Amino acid sequence: MRTRTKVLLAIAIWLGVAILLGLAFGSEGKNEEFQPQNEFKLEPWISLKVAGIDLSVNKAVLYLFLASALTVMTMTWIANRMEQRPNRVQTAAEVFYNLARSNIAGGNMDPRFAARWFPFVGGLFFFIWFSNMIGFIPLPINTEETIDVFGIGFPALALYAATANLSVPLVLTIVVWFSYNFQGVREKGFIRYFRSWLPPGLEDMNPVGKAAIFVIEVLSHFVRLISLSVRLFANILAGHLLILFMAGGLAVLLGLAALGALTFPMVLFFYLFEVVLVATLQAFIFATLTAIYIGGATAESH
Amino acid sequence: MVDVLMLAQGGGGITDTGITDAGKAIALGVGAGLGSIGAGIGIGIIFGKEIESVARQPEMKDDLQAIRWLGFALTEAVAFYTFIFGLIAFFL
Repeated sequence: MRTRTKVLLAIAIWLGVAILLGLAFGSEGKNEEFQPQNEFKLEPWISLKVAGIDLSVNKAVLYLFLASALTVMTMTWIANRMEQRPNRVQTAAEVFYNLARSNIAGGNMDPRFAARWFPFVGGLFFFIWFSNMIGFIPLPINTEETIDVFGIGFPALALYAATANLSVPLVLTIVVWFSYNFQGVREKGFIRYFRSWLPPGLEDMNPVGKAAIFVIEVLSHFVRLISLSVRLFANILAGHLLILFMAGGLAVLLGLAALGALTFPMVLFFYLFEVVLVATLQAFIFATLTAIYIGGATAESH
Repeated sequence: MVDVLMLAQGGGGITDTGITDAGKAIALGVGAGLGSIGAGIGIGIIFGKEIESVARQPEMKDDLQAIRWLGFALTEAVAFYTFIFGLIAFFL
């Protein structure tokens, strides 16, 4: 009874604040100057154009460098400080290392290829994990809005993730796609590799049916380019959009103050969901699918 | 509420661009919503089957856990594909 009263009271206060805000401010026109959806707009900080290709440095580039530096530095730092009796940080790192080694790489490939491709798969896992995680830490990257600290305009805190931009997952996917096809061709030879794309059990089929199935298999291999990249990109983008809209983006866009009060408690829920589950899960999925693709390309009997 | 309708109509009365924008907004909402139905059913099936399997063979729990998360993430992504294509329809 006690808990129930508390929950009801909390809901009543929540709705009361929303209604009060709605009565007090109503919809006093929109704030056109502040555009929260600019979180996903890439402002070129340093303009660079090499032979017609835009290579400007923007916040996505900063996040990429941050993620790479974090991945390399934390892992080497922990590796150089290995002890017989692991402390907490080392234990946590060992759990993830074991997950990448025995579960992701070892569970989906032959032992020979698992040993060869574990650095690649593990590197992908840790890079994407760090890249996702620093996306949920507010960093001073919003150069459009500034905060004055002792007269100096610092960029405002904002969220962004390199993986919330299609280019980054797409490049990772292209690297994965070429490496698994390359490994398959190197292992089995050109003709045998492409023959192994056909599922087993089609020996009695006529050539036309085989060709049709081969075309479908070729398509499915190319669709992997889209599915692997868009899965990571869309998950992170949708998470950031949800956090943005619930945290007040909707209220600003529509000019309704009460809506902000209504949606605000959901931010906590979505933020925890994204940080605890989605960020790690998407890194795990990307690495696992890479291992599955390499394992499938090199498996003896497909 | 009026503001939502105004936003959907492109800020003014019903004009041609207003109708187009409204159609795009409806496409985004309906597309992402219908896509979520399929992904929701899929995720429900995955977790339901996993619970069933663990109830039948509790010793398989650790093996099933990894497969469950793989299936969950693969299915959940389908909802986001529809969402992304909805956004593409909305902004292009």
